[in-house]
Amino acid sequence: MREVVDEFGRTVRIPQLPQRIVSLAPSLTETLYALGVQDRLVGDTDYCDYPADAQKKKKVGGVINPNLEEIAALHPDLVLVTKEGNRADTVRALDTLGIPTYATQARNVNEVLTTTQKLANLLGVPEAGSSLTGDLQARLDALHGKLDVIPPTRALFIVWTEPLISVGKDTFVADAMRLADATSIVDAKQDWPQMSLEEIAKLQPEYLVFAAGHFEEGTRNFEALADRPGWRILDAVRQRRFAVVSEAVIRPSPRIVSAIEDLARQLHPAAFQETPAPNSPGAPAPPTPPGAKPLTSTRAARMALNTQIEIQELACAR
Amino acid sequence: MRPLTLARLLMRCGILVAILFAVVVIALKLGAVQVSLYGLGKDLLGVLLRRSNTLSSDYGMIVLDIRLPRILLGIVVGASLSVAGASFQALLRNPLADPYVLGVSSGAALGAIVALVIEGHMNLTPELAGVITPVGAFIGAALTIAAVYVLGRREGQIDSNTLLLGGIITTSFLSAVIMFLMTTLPSNNLRGTAFWLMGDLSTPQPRSLLYLLILGFLAAAGAIYTTSSDLNLLLAGEKEAMHLGVDVPRVRIVVYLAASILTGLAVAASGVIGYVGLLVPHVMRLIFGSDHRMLLPAAALGGAIALVIADTLARTVASPTDLPVGAMTAMAGAPLFIYLLRRRLA
Repeated sequence: MREVVDEFGRTVRIPQLPQRIVSLAPSLTETLYALGVQDRLVGDTDYCDYPADAQKKKKVGGVINPNLEEIAALHPDLVLVTKEGNRADTVRALDTLGIPTYATQARNVNEVLTTTQKLANLLGVPEAGSSLTGDLQARLDALHGKLDVIPPTRALFIVWTEPLISVGKDTFVADAMRLADATSIVDAKQDWPQMSLEEIAKLQPEYLVFAAGHFEEGTRNFEALADRPGWRILDAVRQRRFAVVSEAVIRPSPRIVSAIEDLARQLHPAAFQETPAPNSPGAPAPPTPPGAKPLTSTRAARMALNTQIEIQELACAR
Repeated sequence: MRPLTLARLLMRCGILVAILFAVVVIALKLGAVQVSLYGLGKDLLGVLLRRSNTLSSDYGMIVLDIRLPRILLGIVVGASLSVAGASFQALLRNPLADPYVLGVSSGAALGAIVALVIEGHMNLTPELAGVITPVGAFIGAALTIAAVYVLGRREGQIDSNTLLLGGIITTSFLSAVIMFLMTTLPSNNLRGTAFWLMGDLSTPQPRSLLYLLILGFLAAAGAIYTTSSDLNLLLAGEKEAMHLGVDVPRVRIVVYLAASILTGLAVAASGVIGYVGLLVPHVMRLIFGSDHRMLLPAAALGGAIALVIADTLARTVASPTDLPVGAMTAMAGAPLFIYLLRRRLA
């Protein structure tokens, strides 16, 4: 046994090398798979659906209301929780049962990487962690190099269309958008604010960004919004300026970097062309005129990217 | 009906205790993880006879550390709500009164949420933090019953229909305030509150709160029991009871405060669980009559039995997912409430 300090600031005693791990958040389950320690994962939640193999693990109930009996019956030597998604009550209950818990916290993309590294150290695979996070960091740096000179796009991130739920300014999603050279226009302190059309019309986003299982689903969501009375008041709706990203972006897991790259490619296609087009020197203007040519030209590529991603349960994606 | 003697009282309570015991044994066996009753009994006997000092580790933790505390919580909460309901019904002379219908549970919930918000803004020691929620719930419950009482009075007397309407309006107002707080406050403070609001016994409570709950129940239910003869006379009406020598204002204060304590503690531990306080006293009154010396203990035991059954269903029907127990009690309770309401109006 050894003592570690988790991201709740609690000192917890955990085994030297945890062998029976229960994950109580989809993002943690994904991280364990990314680190290659899935064989030691003995249980996860109903919402842990990525990768597909995670669905075969023993289910212990929901994120907010896991079944303590099921967890205890698995005899875990470590239960992983997130500070944002799980309840403090759950952690306290596991404490009284003598089951060690370790809490993580990821308020921005950088913390997603540091949390991944901390988990790798905790589970005795520090090299896997450093190669994974090193790779992710390199991809983020490359992206930054490409987008540095381009002014950010003002975008509305849409988690859910009915009711319309966006993201607050302090969420890791807003941070992920920054890294994709977009600004989330919603200035709310709540994590998942509900928005009205009136507010959105006032803010006039240049782009709507949909989180969806695949591109067709995102397109359907856009069409449904565009058909609603009044929505054509938005320039972005009239000019069909929308992007679709994988729902991975609303889980603080390593997959978020792919979602950031995907979003950047859709918002700033010019930055990703090998040779800049002769008629767009220097800084290209992001909002293209009606018709939205760049979108359709890269649609096939984006569809290929997105179809790899399974449909996921949006409501409880965290 | 034959007069109530101590022997008869004890015998009837004995029968209810036996039923409660049987329900607890069944509830201990049922759950997400299969436990053999025979194996458990043998193990328990072994521990009692000091042949071994632990239960089989396979389900010892599940039965003793998870299921049993939850069942105990269900017993105390069910008994508290039911006694509170029986007292409100007596005092307000309205068989449809109960902490949930009168808005007292919502008041307690709002008090508990406000306490949680205050707790989030101050750095309290864990002991103090554990007590602030039940205190907030009690204050919320007491203020709400006072407000509903004022709303329900017409020309110096409690008017049943005005009172029920007052309770319904108060509930919807308090729910709106709760909604407002939950949508405007940063979500971290109130994580899981929506789940708790629907009535939830799945979260193990800290030992200190469990002890507080048991002590509070014994004190408050005891205080109400001392007024049971007065409550019997109050059935004839406040003025009539006054003529018969009942100190009505004193009884009123004792019962309101004690019932607020019961409701506040139950809500702090388990959220808003409806209809237990309404239906159980009713059923007990049908079986045992309306003598409060018998009705109050019967309501306590009956409430415990009802809530343990409801929670066992909540644990098992959609296993491994837990349903909120409040959903179970409302599903059974609301139709019965309508039935009783219509029968009364007929």
